[in-house]
Amino acid sequence: MSVVEASEGTQKATVDANFEPTILAIACHWCTYTGADLAGMNRMNYPPNVRVLRVPCSGRVNPQYILTALNKGCDGVLVCGCHPGDCHYVSGNYYAKRRLMAFKRLLEYTGLEEGRLLIRWISGSEAGKFRDTVTEICQTVKALGPLSTSEQDALTAFSRSAAGLADINANVGAAAGFASAPEPNQADGAGE
Amino acid sequence: MLLAKDRLNELLDHLSTEARVYVPARIETQTRFALYSDTVKPNFKLVNTELPPKDILFPQTQNMYRYGFDAEGVPFIDPIHDADDVVIFGARSCDVRSIECMDDVFLTKGYVDEFYEPRRSRLLLVAMACNTVAESCFCDSMSLDPNSAPAADIQMSEGDQAFEVTALNEKGEAALAAWSSYLTEGSIEHAAVSCELKVEMTGIKEKLDHMFEHPIWESVSKKCLNCGTCTFVCPTCHCFDISQENRMKIGERFRSWDSCMFSCYTEMAGHHNPRAEKMPRVRQRFLHKLCFFEDRYGKSLCVGCGRCVADCPVALDITVLIDQIGAAELTEGAVHDA
Amino acid sequence: MSDIQSQLRARAAELLSSGEVVQVIGWMDGRFENQTTPAFIDRPEDAELLVFNEYCVNTTPKYTLYEKEHGKLAVCVRGCDSRGINRMIKDNQILRDQLYLIGLPCSGVKDRKTGELLIKCQNCNHRNPVVYDELLGDAVEEPQVNRYDVVERFEAMERDKRAQYFESTFNRCIRCYACREVCPVCTCRSCFVDQVNVGWQGKQNNLAENKFYNLTRVFHIGDRCVECGECERACPMNLPLMAFNRKMVKDLDDLFAAGEAGLDAEGTHSLGTYDVNDVEEFM
Repeated sequence: MSVVEASEGTQKATVDANFEPTILAIACHWCTYTGADLAGMNRMNYPPNVRVLRVPCSGRVNPQYILTALNKGCDGVLVCGCHPGDCHYVSGNYYAKRRLMAFKRLLEYTGLEEGRLLIRWISGSEAGKFRDTVTEICQTVKALGPLSTSEQDALTAFSRSAAGLADINANVGAAAGFASAPEPNQADGAGE
Repeated sequence: MLLAKDRLNELLDHLSTEARVYVPARIETQTRFALYSDTVKPNFKLVNTELPPKDILFPQTQNMYRYGFDAEGVPFIDPIHDADDVVIFGARSCDVRSIECMDDVFLTKGYVDEFYEPRRSRLLLVAMACNTVAESCFCDSMSLDPNSAPAADIQMSEGDQAFEVTALNEKGEAALAAWSSYLTEGSIEHAAVSCELKVEMTGIKEKLDHMFEHPIWESVSKKCLNCGTCTFVCPTCHCFDISQENRMKIGERFRSWDSCMFSCYTEMAGHHNPRAEKMPRVRQRFLHKLCFFEDRYGKSLCVGCGRCVADCPVALDITVLIDQIGAAELTEGAVHDA
Repeated sequence: MSDIQSQLRARAAELLSSGEVVQVIGWMDGRFENQTTPAFIDRPEDAELLVFNEYCVNTTPKYTLYEKEHGKLAVCVRGCDSRGINRMIKDNQILRDQLYLIGLPCSGVKDRKTGELLIKCQNCNHRNPVVYDELLGDAVEEPQVNRYDVVERFEAMERDKRAQYFESTFNRCIRCYACREVCPVCTCRSCFVDQVNVGWQGKQNNLAENKFYNLTRVFHIGDRCVECGECERACPMNLPLMAFNRKMVKDLDDLFAAGEAGLDAEGTHSLGTYDVNDVEEFM
């Protein structure tokens, strides 16, 4: 899965300039998703590589979501939630913080490049921060290159190959493999 | 015919140009049958490898077909039959017998498995007689002979300077004819070995026919953890499960090893599980090895390789169990036909 | 040790014949030399089968989960076992008064083939049981070890090399789940692996799924791991599983002063709680 062999990414001296990463942004409903919405309403531009997955709370983010994303076609994952103290459910993001601090270290220990997993607190009014964060992770991952295919299963590799790709690209709103991805119009609410 | 030891790698290099050649080797922390290469050389000092060669014929995960819609929206189903010529070079008698057992399952009784058969029919099976035995080996108690494996295509035995090579069937003769430039006339004296660990198998099967409800299963299963180690290192365990994985409009159906030790092995719709506890699962495994398979195919499914004996994390030892079965009394209440 | 063994047999027989416990969980000899296997003794006359020596490689706590239904259990506990028991009590898997703990000071157990101290025992710093109802023999001296040694060595490696190493580790996993089954902390009634219809874990054996399984397991038990090292010992593929477990333990200790799990049966675990003053790195 995800993590480890990112090694190859850095070994490559040059990364294909045309590489467009797929980024999953897991956003909490109450803050970050609203912030993304605000970015859209303000007509802010940010890279279209990001697919937004709305969750009720960052405390709901199961580490397996991150593993699955990296496994099934995403090159990077962004997890966002309310600022500490602002959680709609009082303490969800405090739990998320502990969990993700430990999990990020574990992933990077087993080989994931720093930068492929990014966690940020973004409030409902921080449209600019959302834009900047998405831009940041897209640039980082673009520089790192694709997650090496050895991390991903054969089916992902196949579906990314020419035969599968055309079809998948037609469904920009949903990241490959995520049954629960938001509807395109919701996900893009923050976008163009 | 003799194959000089210093020409072994030449022969294997030659074979590798035409087939995938698997040899017993140590790969990092484990020994297994690995693809022969510049860095992987055969090691015949391994009595038998920790992992059996079964995954060469019956991989732990085998893709069966892909399905979905192509770029034009046309539905497709593509079966995946990925067979190459394969040589298993240096299988011990237990592993050769295990392939016989898998042949019974996948090729007989009116059913030919379309994923096993192509691999099996392109296999050249080269057996190697044992020079030593491990402490957990007990194949000669299971009516095998560590010194010869009649079901192989070619039988080898190891001497000081050379291997003696004997063809056992037409396929083996054809292979030896092709290897002739590496062979010389002659023979060697192979000192026959026998296993130190013995179990008495007489009457065990007949006794097990009546031991389905015997209290012995409750006591032997206590220490079992229900991990799948014994089934995955077993050369004959062949249960599999079919699943699929989908990505958007493309999917793949595959089969993967399953283990009767796992709770989900028998789980049905609605979460009913006829083997929800440890005891019936342990009973199933041992009865399948020692009783049910013999009913159906006329041979024991345990080949005495001793891998489960060596690897079980809690030392639940099938040879001890066989001894216990031999000693068990068939009491009135406990007798129940399997 | 043979002195402790004879005391153990005597006490087991007493406990069983007095009816105080219905079963004693310990070890007995296996078929081969220097091999032991878990023993479940329920008759006083069988207490003679119990052994305690330097080849008792198995840990006992996990069995209490299955055997508790029979009544009160006497369990042989060394340092690692006792921490597992504490952790299981804390996780509401068993009640303290369902157990009679026979404490056994341990000087480490050995590999029966090489005669060397097992890796799990080389890194042990709790040889004496931390909880027991009676202690047989005298407490032994606790060794001073750097149990994070393995983690520090990996952390010092270049990322590419480490990634390669762990990729090979995950590639070799056969997903027999022995690591899960021996673990005193893996007590979920329904493991994510077995929830086949939910689809967390694919059944394929490939790098992706193997990594998914191993990392999820490590993360799930990381904050409660009692560092008994039994997963690593049980692994038929000899994978360095404690290099992952200890990484979690070390990080949680560094970040949240989590300490060592299983030293007592009170309180909670570090990922099951939070502190508003936790270090902040996601702003």
